[in-house]
Amino acid sequence: MMRWLRYHRHAFLLALRRWLGNPYAALFATLAMAAALALPGSLYLGYANLAQLGGRLPAQPQITLYLKADIDGATLARLRQRLMHDGELASARFVSKTDALAQLQADGLANPLAGLSDNPLPDAWVLTPKDPSPGALAHLSREYANWPGVDQISSDRMWAERLAAALALVQTLALFIAALFAIALGAIAGNTIRSATLARREEIQVSRLIGASDAYLRLPYLYQGLLQGLAAGAATLLILALLMSLLDGPVGTLSALYGSRYSLLFLSPSQQALLVCFPALFSWLGAWLSVTRTLHRVDRPSS
Amino acid sequence: MIVFSEVVKRYPGGHTALDGISLEIERGEMVFLTGHSGAGKSTLLKLIAAIERPTAGLVTVNGQNVGRLNRHAVPYLRRNIGLVFQDHKLLFDRSVMENTILPLMIAGATRREALKRARAALDKVGLLEREKSMPITLSGGEQQRLCIARAIVSRPALLLVDEPTGNLDAEYAAVILGLFQDFHQVGATIVIATHDERALALPRTRTVHLELGRLA
Repeated sequence: MMRWLRYHRHAFLLALRRWLGNPYAALFATLAMAAALALPGSLYLGYANLAQLGGRLPAQPQITLYLKADIDGATLARLRQRLMHDGELASARFVSKTDALAQLQADGLANPLAGLSDNPLPDAWVLTPKDPSPGALAHLSREYANWPGVDQISSDRMWAERLAAALALVQTLALFIAALFAIALGAIAGNTIRSATLARREEIQVSRLIGASDAYLRLPYLYQGLLQGLAAGAATLLILALLMSLLDGPVGTLSALYGSRYSLLFLSPSQQALLVCFPALFSWLGAWLSVTRTLHRVDRPSS
Repeated sequence: MIVFSEVVKRYPGGHTALDGISLEIERGEMVFLTGHSGAGKSTLLKLIAAIERPTAGLVTVNGQNVGRLNRHAVPYLRRNIGLVFQDHKLLFDRSVMENTILPLMIAGATRREALKRARAALDKVGLLEREKSMPITLSGGEQQRLCIARAIVSRPALLLVDEPTGNLDAEYAAVILGLFQDFHQVGATIVIATHDERALALPRTRTVHLELGRLA
């Protein structure tokens, strides 16, 4: 056990010395790996932020009936009667123009209306159908469109669904690109380690002659791969943080123009930890593959 | 301790280095392998340390068939063998001391223990005051002695030596041969390949003569 710890301590210190002993190679490999990681990373951040926006939309499909501004009391009462007893609806809620304005003000989106003297918003009914399928929604929308007193119909579920579909696409794309770059990462790390092992070919040969096992020879290179990956992960985190701080100003200005306050979402602490550990794992794997390959090629006895 | 039976070693390309060697070396023996260059002396040493594998026949060390030794078992065999190479095989990017402690570090010794034993070994070969030097600054004879220090530092039961006195002047050749004798006195088995006539004058040693891959 003590011997095992000694081997690891020795290998780690050796790896650290070799890695820092060649600072330019270390720097360039780190930058290459970090750049490769930053692409799927920023794509993921874009996805997370859009999803956060999308998450504020109603989860249940709803149909909104906007009523005509000049609707009379009798039509309004008939409409209420029919909607409250409609067997196809799970719920029906009346939103008066006063309530709608209050809601907008609460959301911080009322600024465009501030200059107007009277409330331009219509009265509305917000309906939740029992059958949430797009077909049923379309059918109901067509039916309500013909009712007296109804001005416009919007089914806000439609663009929410489009957004969800688009987000799913972005997510799949991000995962795919991340997988590709994981391979690239392993290849970069493996290549760095390969040149390191080839430069130390003689040392490997001599160490073998005096009793070094493959595991012993491999260990420092694995640590070097691990260090490389950790550094790349940390550098990626820095790049993404830089990107967010660059975008934070413009996004703030943009949302302020809409009278809203939206602040960008960054990675959670566990995601940050993952971002550092994930490249470390792949870099380690790349190092393992390349050093094992070199060890197999160096100096096999002939028979 | 070492048994060769009907050993043939043919290198890729067709050169036959050893041609049906049968030989037994007892534990604690000191044996000189003699013969012209190309007679197969180095090949014989390499077969014992599993650096090469026999084309035919059997090589056993301590009852282990080293010609069929598993790849993962080879390092453990080598940790019990001290090797002195004709071309020294030193690592030129590290100091004399770091070269000497390498076998001990590989075997998992603590650094403090390794340094202590390495100083003793360097003292024996007369290189103690050069422990911080780089090997490139050493003369050919000093490099040879460093190689010997590295071979004996882990006190192996078996020492295989290839042309130890070739680069040395008469005075140091005698010192080095004396060193091997001391090592032999404390029970180590030693096989030395040489064509140096001075070595053969030593008492109580056995000589095995090789000629074109056969015992003569």
